[in-house]
Amino acid sequence: MIKHRVILYQALIIVLLSQVLSSCSFCSRQDVDLSQELIVPDSVIQNSTPQVSKAITDQMMQNISSPVETAALIKGLKIPFNKNFLASTKQADWFNTNFEKAFALGLYGCDLGYLNMYEKTSFVVDYISVIKRLADDIQVGQFFDFSTLKRLATNNENLDSLILISQQSFNRIDTYLSETNRSMLSAVIVTGVWVEGAYLSSRVAQISNHPKIRETIGEQKVILNFLLALLKVYDNDPSMAKLITDFEPIKKLYDQVHITYELGEPEMIEENGVVTFKQTDKQVIEMDDELYNKLITNIQELRSNLLKL
Amino acid sequence: MKKILLALSLVMIGIAYHNNVKAQSEEELVQICTMVAGDAEYLKDFRIKLDAGDPPPVQRFPVVLKKDVKYRFSVCNSKDYEGKVILQLFDNNRQLATTYIVATGKDYPYIDWVCTKTGAYHLVYSFRDGKAGLAVGLLSMVGTM
Repeated sequence: MIKHRVILYQALIIVLLSQVLSSCSFCSRQDVDLSQELIVPDSVIQNSTPQVSKAITDQMMQNISSPVETAALIKGLKIPFNKNFLASTKQADWFNTNFEKAFALGLYGCDLGYLNMYEKTSFVVDYISVIKRLADDIQVGQFFDFSTLKRLATNNENLDSLILISQQSFNRIDTYLSETNRSMLSAVIVTGVWVEGAYLSSRVAQISNHPKIRETIGEQKVILNFLLALLKVYDNDPSMAKLITDFEPIKKLYDQVHITYELGEPEMIEENGVVTFKQTDKQVIEMDDELYNKLITNIQELRSNLLKL
Repeated sequence: MKKILLALSLVMIGIAYHNNVKAQSEEELVQICTMVAGDAEYLKDFRIKLDAGDPPPVQRFPVVLKKDVKYRFSVCNSKDYEGKVILQLFDNNRQLATTYIVATGKDYPYIDWVCTKTGAYHLVYSFRDGKAGLAVGLLSMVGTM
């Protein structure tokens, strides 16, 4: 009887310890001294691809390309909505491997951002259905709040929540993939978002001469350098190596784009209790028309190639 | 024997419940922070938990911000901790913005940032006076310029 009690007490202690350790989410963060690892951004805007550690790439994934910002920039130029810019949901069946599905997830995620921004809820259900299916296929469907999104879209209610929940779903997917050592798929999702965002911008560039869209195309050089730095972390994977190769032509073109900066001191303005810091740095992008047009064509070719069109 | 098993079960249920409550509380902080951000469109949240220390420990997050976008950085503290979070926005090595103005001693629940240069930035979170704290930072978009 005493022996049984000792065994039970030992079991109790083990259970307690394992619970305490598993609930200590912060403990794992202390493994990485981020303050030492983050001094990299200067090199990122150079032509050479920066070396970035995996700890950093895991954190940067979500921020590299955002469907919300891209769509907002396009909408801000008063460019009308165009359904033809988007990838057809019928093409979702063409993606077979987890790698391809992750890419498609990012791509349709970007399209969802565009639809949400233009409040085209009638198309949203189609896209969230495809996204949910792709997310299920790569075992992250539980983080995509399909039922809430469907309700919001169907009832045309609270469109801000539609954007919020879409974004949060993708952030949770990213976090989960990172926690389960599948960060490579996160990188592929981000690639899908970037390719579709760049494609949307390129389509807009063909119908608008607005200098901002020209600048948006040009500054993709900065984002692309980040993206390639992330992808190269996983270049021992054959699918990733091929993806990086697919980016080579556009990388060579972007190497010809010159971006320079004039630094200034930020200005702080306080109005009605709201503090706004206004950056005064200037970004100057130099590229001739020929290069600009080549970039547009190349972005579209890259997307067609990756979409198997 | 039965009593021990019952006690063991109760402890496990209690711990599971406690863990759930803790997880929800971080989510609640995100929801509160979303309300603090107002009309701005949510982009990403950052969970900050730091022990007390001198110099104050920091938690950094790299982000890519885009030209011609007005961003909002909101911060929300957990009531369970003493620490009041401070956000500092850096580019390569310059501090560009902060939620706590040392000169005035004013603390802001959110600040706006008008970005004129697409590139990498760093969000550096710490707690005032190096106290221990739990907080959430939110990155959202006010609009385009």
